[in-house]
Amino acid sequence: MRVLVVGAGAVGARAARQLVESDEVREVVVVDSDPVRQAAVAESSGRKARAGSGEEQADVVLLAGPCGTHAALATHHVGEGRPVVSTSDSIEDVRALLDLDAEARARGVSVVVGASFSPGYTCVLARHGSATFDTVTELHVARSGTGGPACARQHHRALTGQALDWRDGGWHRRPAGSGRELCWFPDPIGAEDCYRAELPDALLLVPAMPGVERVTARLAATRRDRLSAHLPMLRKPHPEGLVGAVRVEVRGRQAGRSEVVVLGALDRPAVAAGATAALAARWAGSGRLSAGSAGLAAVDDSRAFLAELASVGIKPAVFDGAP
Amino acid sequence: MALLRRALVALGLAAAFAAVLRLRGSGGTPPQQGGWRELKLE
Repeated sequence: MRVLVVGAGAVGARAARQLVESDEVREVVVVDSDPVRQAAVAESSGRKARAGSGEEQADVVLLAGPCGTHAALATHHVGEGRPVVSTSDSIEDVRALLDLDAEARARGVSVVVGASFSPGYTCVLARHGSATFDTVTELHVARSGTGGPACARQHHRALTGQALDWRDGGWHRRPAGSGRELCWFPDPIGAEDCYRAELPDALLLVPAMPGVERVTARLAATRRDRLSAHLPMLRKPHPEGLVGAVRVEVRGRQAGRSEVVVLGALDRPAVAAGATAALAARWAGSGRLSAGSAGLAAVDDSRAFLAELASVGIKPAVFDGAP
Repeated sequence: MALLRRALVALGLAAAFAAVLRLRGSGGTPPQQGGWRELKLE
């Protein structure tokens, strides 16, 4: 298959490198608004990759560019009958991409929304964790760390504005930066204070988990982050963040009892996001995902998805409490 | 003198009470097992 990767930042570059390693990928066409970066990523990704333009034919399109550009590009490519995978974690992008569901179904293509580390990998963890429950009542997602500069800017923005929670069958907007909660991430990240933030996770999880009563998403931040989030970024974002982590808490009923499963993962966010997006693109391009627009919580075989990611080093973890 | 005696009695009672709390504890033994482990996918 030929994959068009739009955006050659930290996530797009990692996705391109993951894609060229796959036997089912014949060619990866890298597109970026910065020609120097486009050429550098295409050259460093091996012989299957080359620089190209956004108008080239492809079997699947992976959108890894800046937030705010995904909806228009996805509309164009779905109109051309191409499956699309988006890594955007902006609420506006996610809403617009989910609105493409009817057209994607009509054209028989899949649109994978929020295919990064969180959302994305966390959606697959939520699906996997919920498989053992008779009914899922609550899903709580938390993430720590950032990928490239675009991710750092999005982290900064997400701590202002309005968080979107699902509670008792309705959407509730709460101020971002509120609702401090101590969340335990896989070691060595450990415990970090997490706050509500303008994150799209609930939009992606609620449609995939009918009957769920509460869905929340939180972001690890310091008190200084909460204060400075309302100001312009004081320093230029780092080119690549340190190791980050995600955590998904699934609550539900199993054989009449209330149970909790906590799953997580630890990696550099851009690496994990790139690997998740690349795998989603391969699955979408080979017809292993249903037609329509949805997040990765809708994936049927979460075990196989996680196993393929584990084979490239993105390994899921489970939290076992003391007996 | 009486004041000193009362103070010593109060200190003694406080020390005895603190010793009981210290020995008895309230949270039990911290968890010795559990934590994050790799999720097996077979």
